[in-house]
Amino acid sequence: MDALLHNLKLSWHSIKRAPLPYALTLLILSLGLGTFFSNATLYYWMNRDPIPEKSATLFMARLNSVPGDCTDCFEPPRVMSYMDMQKMSGSGITSAEAAMFSSDAYAKTVENQQATPSQVELRITQRDFFKLFNVPFLHGEAWPDNKARMEVVISKNTALKFFSRTDVVGQEMLIDDKLYKVIGVLNDWAMLPRLYDVNGRRSAEPAEDIYIPLETAYDLAIQSNTQNSYFDVDWDGNMATYPQMARNNFANQLQFWVQLDSPEKVQQYQQFLKNLVADEKAAGRHQRPEGNKLDNILNVQKALRATNDQLDAFALVASLFLLVCVVNAGHLSLNRYMANQYEFSLRRALGASRWQLQSQILADVLLSSALAFAAALFFAQLGLWTINSLLPGTRALASWDWQMLGVMALFVLLISYLVTLYPALKTSFSPLNQQLKQ
Amino acid sequence: MIKINNLSKIFRTDLIETHALRQINLQVNEGEFAALTGPSGSGKSTLLNVLGTLESFDQGDYLLDGRSVKGLSDRELSALRNEKIGFIFQGFNLIKDFSLFDNIELPLRYRGFSAAERKRRVEQALETVGLAARRDYHPSQLSGGQQQRVAIARAIAGEPRILLADEPTGNLDSLMARQVMELLEKINQQGCTILMVTHDPDQARRANRHIQIVDGQLNDATLYEPLGYEPLVAGA
Repeated sequence: MDALLHNLKLSWHSIKRAPLPYALTLLILSLGLGTFFSNATLYYWMNRDPIPEKSATLFMARLNSVPGDCTDCFEPPRVMSYMDMQKMSGSGITSAEAAMFSSDAYAKTVENQQATPSQVELRITQRDFFKLFNVPFLHGEAWPDNKARMEVVISKNTALKFFSRTDVVGQEMLIDDKLYKVIGVLNDWAMLPRLYDVNGRRSAEPAEDIYIPLETAYDLAIQSNTQNSYFDVDWDGNMATYPQMARNNFANQLQFWVQLDSPEKVQQYQQFLKNLVADEKAAGRHQRPEGNKLDNILNVQKALRATNDQLDAFALVASLFLLVCVVNAGHLSLNRYMANQYEFSLRRALGASRWQLQSQILADVLLSSALAFAAALFFAQLGLWTINSLLPGTRALASWDWQMLGVMALFVLLISYLVTLYPALKTSFSPLNQQLKQ
Repeated sequence: MIKINNLSKIFRTDLIETHALRQINLQVNEGEFAALTGPSGSGKSTLLNVLGTLESFDQGDYLLDGRSVKGLSDRELSALRNEKIGFIFQGFNLIKDFSLFDNIELPLRYRGFSAAERKRRVEQALETVGLAARRDYHPSQLSGGQQQRVAIARAIAGEPRILLADEPTGNLDSLMARQVMELLEKINQQGCTILMVTHDPDQARRANRHIQIVDGQLNDATLYEPLGYEPLVAGA
């Protein structure tokens, strides 16, 4: 510890001797690292397994079911009809299954009806949604079945926003002027990325505020705000007939998720889908080639071709920028070390081995890393703020957990050492006599 | 103490080879105070650097305190420099951001002494050079002569077997130079071997041995009776 403190003191003296070149080195390094971290943060959140405890068992199921004959249409649509969802449900093979789509509405409390309603994000879904994605409840519980009911589950933040408290089970809310009773309040929960919402390209956004039963949504003509397609539908737009039309036609807006607990179950469900398509074809309703898809949750982005190309391009640019910064910081660092060459030579003459000089240089690296880390986090926050402003869909991805901070700190340490490595070696192996003779 | 046999040192560039030292043989015994003189470019500093293991050599052998330095690793050479050799440079080579205490303590740290032992040795060395009261001063607050005395304190704090002094009074006026020479003589009288490069014939005459080097070759065996001066400072 004494040696470390001494070496840190030497490093501090060295910085004080030429503060501007040192500050410039740090600035360049921090800019590169900050830009890289901004991108790495987004990249990490977008590509992590959001539910590692059960991601292997979660699948999005799709049928290649669209009216009209098309012999070379093998890719199923991203969303499906209510009819197909019904046929895919209740197989007895899944341990949980839920259809869903996203929507939005305006909400207010019954007690405060005069207030301007606030916009809320809705997830229209079924009971098993909460089981599928391990959504924790703070108060109350999910619906007992998938029937239509004027009951909602709300997030903790929504409870706090509308009621200023969390235990609001039994309270009533007006959502688009319809009266609902709160039956459950979720605990803090942020599945990132929200891979169950990839089809709407909203997987980077925060979780929804309010959860409404699917059947209720169909009854009230609540529609998807991201993707709905009507195939071969003759509908006059009369909302009173919407529930029947949407349930009986190819009004596609649903995605369907299942939990399959073993490879055997996966196989069984695939066979189930195959049999289903065969039956449909026999009934003359499934005209396209069989193209059933059962995509694991971790493959959904790729399967729906929803990977973020902008993010990939930015990753490349950020990496190249970091490289340029490292080279420049290394050059400045070399100049700084060469300016201090005399002192290194003196230490060698006084008996310091090259290894002892290296430990001094490691202290330099440690100090530089600490300063560069703080500055890089600042620049990274700035970068994230800019990205979030330009791409609002990424606003949920701007946070760091302790593990990320730890990895980032190690990365800074490694980069700082790289920047210092060549100057350090050059200094350690320079001839001693030239520097000491004045 | 020092024994070199047929030692040669050649500086090479792409175009030319310069024979800085040519098959030198030299023995310096324990307790000697030897002066090394010669014209500029004769090789005296190169010889001192080789003896201080700051510079490698091309041929021959060099035994320091009975041990050949040939083939020693960097770690072994560093330890050898730290434990057995004290350097005194013409330009003092003090670290200007450090206090006197920190400057003198530096080589002791590399030796791995405890904090208490380092403190004891630094204070003793400062006492020897007469600067005990200024341990927290910085070099820039001292005169040239005082700075050289600090450099001598740094050199002797590790109780080396030999002091290698490269024109230790070259940057000092005559009064300060005398003080430094008296200090070196005092250290020599306490048993420390000294090999000193100098241009000054008077100083060379104060050593009890005078070695001349010309064109990389030695002309030895000029022995002097030490001149001796009246001390300038009591106890110095």
